[in-house]
Amino acid sequence: MRSTLRTLLVLALTLSLALFVAACGSDDNGGDGGDSGSDEASAIQEGGEATFNYPSFPDYLDPAMSYTAAGWQALYASYGQLLTYAREEGQAGAQLIPGLAESMPDVSDDGKTYTFKLREGLKYSDGSEVKASDFEHAIKRVINLESGGASFYTSTIVGADKYLEAGKAKGDISGITADDETGEITIKLKAANGQFPFMLSMPFASLVPSDTPFEVMTKNPPPGVAPMKITQVEGSRRFVLEKNENYPEIPGIPPAHLDKITVNVVDNNERSIRDVLSNKADWMDDPGPGDALREFKETASERYTEQVTNSTYYFFLNQRVKPFDNPELRKAVAYAIDKKALARLFGGQLEPGCNFLPPGMQGYEKIDPCPHGKGGDIERAKKIVQDEGAAGEKVTVWGNEEESTKAVTEYLADVLNEIGFDAEPRIVDGEVYFQTIGAQKTKAQIGFTNWFADFPHPGNFMFLVDPDTIQETNNQNFSNVDDPEIKKQLDELDQQDIGEAAAGYAALDKRLVENVDVLPYGHRKLPSFYSNRIAVDRVLFHPVMLADYTTFALKK
Amino acid sequence: MTADNPVETQPAAEGVSHELEVEASHAPSGTSPWALAWRRLKRNKVSLAFGVLFILLVLSALAAPLWAEHVAETTPSRNNVSGTIIKDGQEVDIVSLEGVPIGPTWGRKYFLGADQNGRDVMVRLLYGARNSLQIGILAALITMTLAVILGMAAGYFRGWTDAIISRAFDVMWAFPVLLLGVALGVALAVGGLNIGPLHFESGSLWIPTFIIGVVGVVYLARPIRGQVLSLREKEFVEAARAQGAGNLRIMFGELLPNIASTLLVFFPLIVANAIMLEAALSFLGAGVQPPAPSWGTMISSGLSSLISAPHQTFAPGLMLVLTVLSLNIFGEGVRDALDPRAKIKLEN
Repeated sequence: MRSTLRTLLVLALTLSLALFVAACGSDDNGGDGGDSGSDEASAIQEGGEATFNYPSFPDYLDPAMSYTAAGWQALYASYGQLLTYAREEGQAGAQLIPGLAESMPDVSDDGKTYTFKLREGLKYSDGSEVKASDFEHAIKRVINLESGGASFYTSTIVGADKYLEAGKAKGDISGITADDETGEITIKLKAANGQFPFMLSMPFASLVPSDTPFEVMTKNPPPGVAPMKITQVEGSRRFVLEKNENYPEIPGIPPAHLDKITVNVVDNNERSIRDVLSNKADWMDDPGPGDALREFKETASERYTEQVTNSTYYFFLNQRVKPFDNPELRKAVAYAIDKKALARLFGGQLEPGCNFLPPGMQGYEKIDPCPHGKGGDIERAKKIVQDEGAAGEKVTVWGNEEESTKAVTEYLADVLNEIGFDAEPRIVDGEVYFQTIGAQKTKAQIGFTNWFADFPHPGNFMFLVDPDTIQETNNQNFSNVDDPEIKKQLDELDQQDIGEAAAGYAALDKRLVENVDVLPYGHRKLPSFYSNRIAVDRVLFHPVMLADYTTFALKK
Repeated sequence: MTADNPVETQPAAEGVSHELEVEASHAPSGTSPWALAWRRLKRNKVSLAFGVLFILLVLSALAAPLWAEHVAETTPSRNNVSGTIIKDGQEVDIVSLEGVPIGPTWGRKYFLGADQNGRDVMVRLLYGARNSLQIGILAALITMTLAVILGMAAGYFRGWTDAIISRAFDVMWAFPVLLLGVALGVALAVGGLNIGPLHFESGSLWIPTFIIGVVGVVYLARPIRGQVLSLREKEFVEAARAQGAGNLRIMFGELLPNIASTLLVFFPLIVANAIMLEAALSFLGAGVQPPAPSWGTMISSGLSSLISAPHQTFAPGLMLVLTVLSLNIFGEGVRDALDPRAKIKLEN
């Protein structure tokens, strides 16, 4: 009896203490007034170190492989391409400028031959010389490793598809010739392609030394030519970027301000935001809704920014497997989902919409009204499922464990159950999610996905529904859209100047949405959080590269 | 044949509490140890109260479908993100535009509020209780079954059998239970679990049940092994052997009844630990998979809105505390009632 009472007392005290601590919340806000609202740019210091938080480790840190926003933000800072983007915000940032090439390419009259000359005296971050032949090696790695970006090059460059079929790492891509003596690189295309210059600006096309192995180099990334370099990778918890002392200061690409950026994986978004609020970390973005975000906006608004991104959040519906090989059943899902409800699951950080192309992208014309109504029409959807004889059919809804994604996945599963399917969510770790649903053997029926523009051309979104991009692994056409009519339209539009092609892309956007080849529901607003050490007004939020790490600097 | 209870048939040793002497003197002749234990338990009002609390929790869990269907008129996974409800005469969003869910209404619907998907927290709490209790109790049964088999084999046969089993225990003991549970949970999350001809899908509750049942074996098997090592030297075992009883007959016919009280004492504590472990694994995403509710997943989902919508976390947290507390205190009472020698040793 005596020991029981004592136990009770201890447990009651412990519970009370826990409740007291939780109710008080964090006393470690660290929120401060920051700068007084001066219009002048902040004075900055050169050098110093900063810590960034990521919600999950990037898919890869190998430029040949990475295909996520998180990976590319680090890779844009540490690798160089023949062409790159002007370091400007908004539309100005969508302009291409010479990167490692000394000038914009000479393009033949038929648009099928591009000739570049490499800048002289370039060196990689390890001090080794950059050679013209390194470009072909970089493209070979992308194709040989079956990267998600392989189809950009196998579908455009002469001989690239034959290189893939031959399966020999050291084979030749006949459409690329390079002269290491003169630094000249010539690329022959199968057909004129208005998107091709943008494809050369992606991290996939980053130059790396010709002795870089044909294996995934995430654990030990190869050297690059850029203001920063990746110097350490610690498992899947941390990696480090440092200033590249061998960076030759390419015009239009200023050197980095910071000496070192340590990127830590902090998978708890609330904790990550509070780290930044209390200045234990210097930056993070993409946090999902929560008290910490609301608190940050209220107490440190001068350190908070929010930008609409060139992105679309949508559900894929795999047309190779039942039940969504049936277009009527895809339409049933479109009638049933409520885009405004989905926006709430993102805590207001999603602009609802039914377009596949994001606002601001050339070729975007708002689809209004949405072809399947305002959404939430459960009865109509249920009737379609009944009429098609699909009631009770098992469906697995795929998503990853990141906060809003999980909620969205559970929502979709519930909607599918309401309209008559037997649906279950399957939540997979974020680090392997896209590889899992991108493997044909998974036979993922329906699930969450999103797309942030690789480059500011509508063709970059349409690649996600291009039949030619379907792959066995690392597939990005998750819906396996294989429509010859779409293929024909894309081939025609790709050859046109974007000005002429815009209306055609808009029409294609509408067709995709009407047929529910994809099921878009909104476009993401990206919040960013900064510590009080960072000169927020100096950070460039690029329309393609997102946060440019080389522009981060400490306040003086 | 069971070992004699020295408290009942021998003169009380020096230092034995007065209470037990009185009890022994008043005990009618022929009263079984179980009856005496029950009498002791009845006198422990606090333990009994918590035992009743646990039973009430079990009954409420069993009543989950009744509450869901007839009171809340929903299901545990029914989303209602853009719905509204009348609260204090005003129409309010169940989930606001910023993603904050409504708090307790204390009415039929959303009695304890909603979660970020607009699901009824009370309904999920009760269904979560079903899942947690089911997993806890079944996992405890798996633990006890495996622990009895392995512990008895190690303690009875000794030699190589004991060496191999004990080394296996040492290896398992070296892994932190939570880490081992998470590793197994994540490994089985996508492909499911195959045990011989049986296949369990990745969302099946059998997967966390099996994981929790297995990782807890070593904590019970070792004490059982110790007891069996001691009991096998007793005269009644020799007598049984002399009468021609085989090993299995001796183990399950003679030794097992003697460790039954130990098992009974441990059972509520193992269930409590299993429930805690299930909550921890689910919190970490390696236990109960969505959309099945679990106190652990509810606590995890509610953390991001701990200030704006604390009910999401406090409600399942409180249920977890009450359940584990009631099992621990009741278990302690059972131990006190069944094992007076422990009391004697403490007081001496």
